[in-house]
Amino acid sequence: MHGKRAERRWANRDRGAAWAILAPNLTLFSIFIIVPVLLAVAISFTNWDLASAPHFVGLANYRRMLSDPMVGQSIETTFFFLLMGVVPTVVIALLFALLVNVRVPFIAAMRTLYFIPAVVSFAASSVLWQWIYRPGDGILDYLLRLFGVNGPAWLSSTSTALPALDIVSIWLSLPVATLLYLAALQRIPEQVIEASILDGAGAFRRLRYIIWPGVRNMTLLVAIVDILAFTNGSFDLVNIMTQGGPINATTTLIYYIYYVAFSNIQLGYAAALSVMQLFLFVALLSVVSLLVKLVNR
Amino acid sequence: MRRLRRFRKPVRMFFILVVGVFLASPLLYLVSGSLMSSAQLTQFPPAFFPSSIHWSNFTAAWDYLHLRAGVNSIIFTVVTVALQWSLCVSGGFVLAKMHFRAARRVVALLGLSLFVPTITTLVPTFVVTDKLHLINTYPGLILPIVAQTGFGTLLFRQYIVSLPTELVDAARVDGAKWMLILRRVIIPLALPATGAYAAISVLTAWNMYLWPLVAATKPSVSVLTESLAPLAETQYGGVIPESVAFAATLITTLPMIVAFLAAQKTFIRGIQGSGVE
Repeated sequence: MHGKRAERRWANRDRGAAWAILAPNLTLFSIFIIVPVLLAVAISFTNWDLASAPHFVGLANYRRMLSDPMVGQSIETTFFFLLMGVVPTVVIALLFALLVNVRVPFIAAMRTLYFIPAVVSFAASSVLWQWIYRPGDGILDYLLRLFGVNGPAWLSSTSTALPALDIVSIWLSLPVATLLYLAALQRIPEQVIEASILDGAGAFRRLRYIIWPGVRNMTLLVAIVDILAFTNGSFDLVNIMTQGGPINATTTLIYYIYYVAFSNIQLGYAAALSVMQLFLFVALLSVVSLLVKLVNR
Repeated sequence: MRRLRRFRKPVRMFFILVVGVFLASPLLYLVSGSLMSSAQLTQFPPAFFPSSIHWSNFTAAWDYLHLRAGVNSIIFTVVTVALQWSLCVSGGFVLAKMHFRAARRVVALLGLSLFVPTITTLVPTFVVTDKLHLINTYPGLILPIVAQTGFGTLLFRQYIVSLPTELVDAARVDGAKWMLILRRVIIPLALPATGAYAAISVLTAWNMYLWPLVAATKPSVSVLTESLAPLAETQYGGVIPESVAFAATLITTLPMIVAFLAAQKTFIRGIQGSGVE
């Protein structure tokens, strides 16, 4: 009994100093992260326009979501934005990592070309890509026409605006995803791959039995990193390039929440939407990790 | 068969180069377009290379961006990263090497915060900052971002855990104070982690848009990304010529491109290290 308590105290012997050093870190973290998360829940039960005092309305904001057509629509838009963005990113990044995971002259310099878009901001990409996307006489439509394709109106058409934003986001996200996959590939011993080639294993069998087991854990990480990047990044792109349009075709949930909060100044309703978004997000991450685990079995 | 093999490497290299140039081509177009005359950039069919070099785009772009926004971006980035670094390296040290029972719960809490989307806390963070009368001030712009210590603290913890415990124990026996151990032993040894952390957080701060957009609306505190954003609408009758908009975009991106090229290994370690979490 006595020994156990002494052991416990031993395991806790630096407690005072530990809290003292952590204090500034955790104080700021509490004020601007923990308090806001809790506050979001509290504000969601009120009507508040910042100018006057908030007044309690119970679950009214949550009931309002049920009859607000923009809620379902923006969730759907977000879902398709993530689906059309994250899945290609994961697949293409793996292919690129396989492509550049080779020892040839100038490989470091050539890899730089793959990684450099990682440093470009969403704001800068937006200025650049809206010009590339310019319908009719823009450079993208011009190049497509050289291949006999009539380019769409990109950002000004309801059917192509969302995919167009996805392309920008994929371009920005590929470097990090490729780097993560490359890190996983570089952990596979070269001899194992060479041995499989000597054994006459084809490219597909090599991918299935040697490459995939080496990168499947990384796939979950890449997926989560990209879901986060696409969710957060969608705001910048949408707000700068399309402002949710045309006709709400690119109004993602995150953009709708921003709009409700800072254009309509309905903080209570915006907070309720953010709480709902957090739940959806956690659910999505759980489903994705479950799916990846199932595939890995 | 053997003959085919001889060609495999050059073919692979060629393929890597073509795909790489394709990926980098929007940036190459940005550089090229920023040097064109406005007439050339808007002509049809589009030009790929400037027929004559127009440096004046850059002086015009600089006038548009405002010196103040550039200075604010630098202040925001440097102060945010410096403050957050000191919180993260000390926090990571505590969680890696000090004995106290709540450590695991603190780690879990910080880890959990990484999965909270920015928008969830945007409205209440704005409210908190507003109540502290910090909207449109440097502290209001900087502190809420410094507070996002989850990523950095865990990054440093991960690295410091792998350092031999004897280093800390020896110092403890000598009666050295914790902060002294941190300064003299841990920080010098954790330099690679600092590099990785700095690369990621400088990039994040420099490119940040949403928080400055709501917390710093006055020109006295607003940053470069905010000046840049309206230029994406120039297709409908712009504020400035398109080639100047290209130059402005290049100006704001160039510091990060140069930093990346100069410290590519550090950046790569930062990105890959952030994934190991």
